[in-house]
Amino acid sequence: MKITFRLVGGFLMTAAAVIVMGSCVSDKDSSGLEYMPDMYRSPAIEPYVDYGEIRGRQVSELKEQLSAMHPPLGTVPYYGTNEEEVRLMLPWNIRPNVEFKSTHGLTGYEFTKENTYETQAKNLVVNPYTLTEENQEYIFKEGKRLYTNNCAHCHGEKGDGNGPMMVNGTFTGVPNYADKKALSNGQLFYSIYYGKGAMGAHASLLNKREIWTLVHYIRKFQNKDYGADTQVGSSTNDEDREPLGDEMDEDATLQG
Amino acid sequence: MFRSLRKWCFGTVVMVLWVGTFSANAQEPAETPAIDGGALFSSKCATCHHPFKDGTGPKLSGVRAQWEENAAPGMIYQWIKNWEVAAASDPYAKSVSAKKPTSMDKFGDITNDQIDAILTWVDSQVEDSGGAQNGGSQSVSTQEEGSNALWYILGAIFLIVILALGNVVRQLRRATGGETSEGLSYFEEFRAWAWRNLRYTLIGSVILAFALLVALFQTLYRVGVVEGYQPSQPIEFPHSVHAGINGIDCKYCHNSVEKSKSAGIPTVNVCMNCHKQINGQDDQVAKIQKIYDAAGWDPDAQTYSGKTGPIVWNKVHVLPDHVYFNHSQHVTVGGIDCKQCHGDMTKMEGTAMIQPVAELNKIEGNIQLTRPTLTMGWCIECHGETEVTQITGASYNGSSYYDEIHRRLLNGDRSLYEKYLKDNKVTVRELGGWECSKCHY
Repeated sequence: MKITFRLVGGFLMTAAAVIVMGSCVSDKDSSGLEYMPDMYRSPAIEPYVDYGEIRGRQVSELKEQLSAMHPPLGTVPYYGTNEEEVRLMLPWNIRPNVEFKSTHGLTGYEFTKENTYETQAKNLVVNPYTLTEENQEYIFKEGKRLYTNNCAHCHGEKGDGNGPMMVNGTFTGVPNYADKKALSNGQLFYSIYYGKGAMGAHASLLNKREIWTLVHYIRKFQNKDYGADTQVGSSTNDEDREPLGDEMDEDATLQG
Repeated sequence: MFRSLRKWCFGTVVMVLWVGTFSANAQEPAETPAIDGGALFSSKCATCHHPFKDGTGPKLSGVRAQWEENAAPGMIYQWIKNWEVAAASDPYAKSVSAKKPTSMDKFGDITNDQIDAILTWVDSQVEDSGGAQNGGSQSVSTQEEGSNALWYILGAIFLIVILALGNVVRQLRRATGGETSEGLSYFEEFRAWAWRNLRYTLIGSVILAFALLVALFQTLYRVGVVEGYQPSQPIEFPHSVHAGINGIDCKYCHNSVEKSKSAGIPTVNVCMNCHKQINGQDDQVAKIQKIYDAAGWDPDAQTYSGKTGPIVWNKVHVLPDHVYFNHSQHVTVGGIDCKQCHGDMTKMEGTAMIQPVAELNKIEGNIQLTRPTLTMGWCIECHGETEVTQITGASYNGSSYYDEIHRRLLNGDRSLYEKYLKDNKVTVRELGGWECSKCHY
């Protein structure tokens, strides 16, 4: 008879123990019981995993190092063989002002002492991502998407500088696009790419095609008919428009 | 009575309206000559300047007095219109130009009256120490923990009471000279009692054993289920303030979600895009300081030092290494909203958490699922339910791979797909979403 008691008792203890262990889930810092825990700590490289310790093995030089690393210095991604595409996507030939190191925390760029925002960027009037009749529907649709994701919380759904962050007073000083018609396409690009004033650089968030798409979309806020009358992507101030060729040459010298 | 009351009300309303229009009329002429300095300030200056806070440009409160004291009269107008000309001719202007590394915009078209209006408006502002910054209050309550401890204490008290009662019964029994059970432990006594009532004991044991068996299996089914996992993070990041109150799209901070396998944890420069200006209040200050430390930003000097450090976040949604999951496939191609898997983060007061499937099902527009979040059952259940015609992904242009397959399935030779097309809809499963090698390789 003692055996039965022991059996029942043993079973009770085991069940209770398992249930108690299982209830660890209520601790938010614990992900609960794992079956084959090894599988959650992949030895294969995954982003956002600290490889300083994998399966109990310590590698001190990898501690707190991102597994998602910077590309090797001086390399550019491969953008295919389409010349137009490559020209559009290669790093921008207008360099940031050296002040941006301390004001916007830019690193990894070649800087210049020249105030390129007022000179080179101002003179860059033509949007190299050409707006044509065929692609404008796509560009504006894509622009709207990018704008909603990246800009609207400050600059507002309508581009009037009244996004939710402004309305509830969290952030101040976002301009209305309607007041900024005089800026050239290059200056708009510069502001998004390297940042301007309180706005930070967005080069890490958006690629160049996306930024030029946004420049088109911002022009649409300033001028409802933007794109309807032009077949070439251009700014609203036509008088100082440069021929497309010059800009191409500049790019070519950069490449060489 | 009623009639007169109604009349009275009507009369009051008319009176109020009349007085209102009159007073509005009366006030208007008095204000028109002045230029609205506040509006001008917010349209021209506020991008860089704040009345009381150094930002990209220095704070402007009291600036006019300083210029009048130190510089040639009227030089401040010259400075605002074109600072370079002013700096060339006036020593004070030159010293001001050295204050900040950034150069001020030139405002050639502004009039002296407008400048006066702006500066008058700036000087009329009263510094508000509190201010309307950051509406979000996060009161993370420790209620739950407290009530848990309470239950344990209650349980312990209950146990003590039972034991004490048992002792009293024993004492009484001994005192009245009943069956003596001296020298027997509680367990032996219980055993004797169980033998006496063998039938009940057996029935009770069977019920107990069955209940425990069920509980055991339920527990075993929780193994590998990570619902409710919410590890503590280096910064108590309130999603409800960022995505909710401030309306920031998920994809702004988690910006690689549309391009990459991983949704991405925002790099510190993304935080700094806003937090350069937003310093927070009360308990937020210490949290935001951690961002500044990581970014190497000095909020007093308004400069980056270049000394950066990591913020070591704890990964929340971890899949075993034999599973391949790609965010861009689901978000861009599949057009799945973040909330389908991550819940409504606009209401989430804390950091990221693996939402239990019951919570996910409460969200409007979500596909209803039954299996626990982040388990394979959950994945394939969704693959079985999701229709490919639902594809509305943002960069989806209607001419890609899936559309073509879909068109062929629906319009082409149906004999092969007869089984799948019976219900006249194409699910992810029918396009191979249940093939092992889609996710395991």
